[in-house]
Amino acid sequence: MNNSLKVERAIKNLTQAQLAELVQVSRQSINAIESGKYVPSTTLALKISRVFSKSVNEIFQLEEND
Amino acid sequence: MNTNYLLPNRFKNIGWAIFIPFVVLGLIYLIREIQFSIFDWTVFAVFTDDGTFDFDIKYLSFIENNMTEELIGCFIIIGGLMVAFSQEKIEDEFISRMRLESLVWATFVNYGILILAILFVYETQFFHVMVINMFTILILFIVRFNWMARNSRKALSYE
Repeated sequence: MNNSLKVERAIKNLTQAQLAELVQVSRQSINAIESGKYVPSTTLALKISRVFSKSVNEIFQLEEND
Repeated sequence: MNTNYLLPNRFKNIGWAIFIPFVVLGLIYLIREIQFSIFDWTVFAVFTDDGTFDFDIKYLSFIENNMTEELIGCFIIIGGLMVAFSQEKIEDEFISRMRLESLVWATFVNYGILILAILFVYETQFFHVMVINMFTILILFIVRFNWMARNSRKALSYE
């Protein structure tokens, strides 16, 4: 799964730590999601997309082999 | 994330304070069987025998026993459980996945080692395998989980 989390954070000028606090997870989790090591739950994906006022599909996209 | 099967975070440090000294004591005990006479207690035994292999089993009796090894064993388990199953400062779904992965990994490695030990360690030496194997799954989990947590924290500095 691809995601544009890093770009979205840059647009909103948020650090990983700030985003982590907004969605109540650890900074490690945001880092792992951005680097593609961890796929968030639907709940967390929805929370993240709410922070950026976008829909989930605008931030997270399926890859071919998903 | 709400989990109802983990202890609060403060138990983690208490757990380390119990776990480490008793693991050290346990290792010393394995090498030379230290026994403290203050632990000569009269205890209730559900099952016991005369210590030979005649298997003259006695049920539900009171016996005299030095409890040093029993206490060391119990405290290693109690401390280890506290270290292993206390919440992280922020316990979220990513940490939960690391926990699950580490537990599966520890179970596989533990029984892998046990199979090798069953095949390659014989007679009374196998008794040591059984003693150590009581604790290995917990120790393997703690090592693996903390190692993974450390790696994920290390990855942060590359932001």
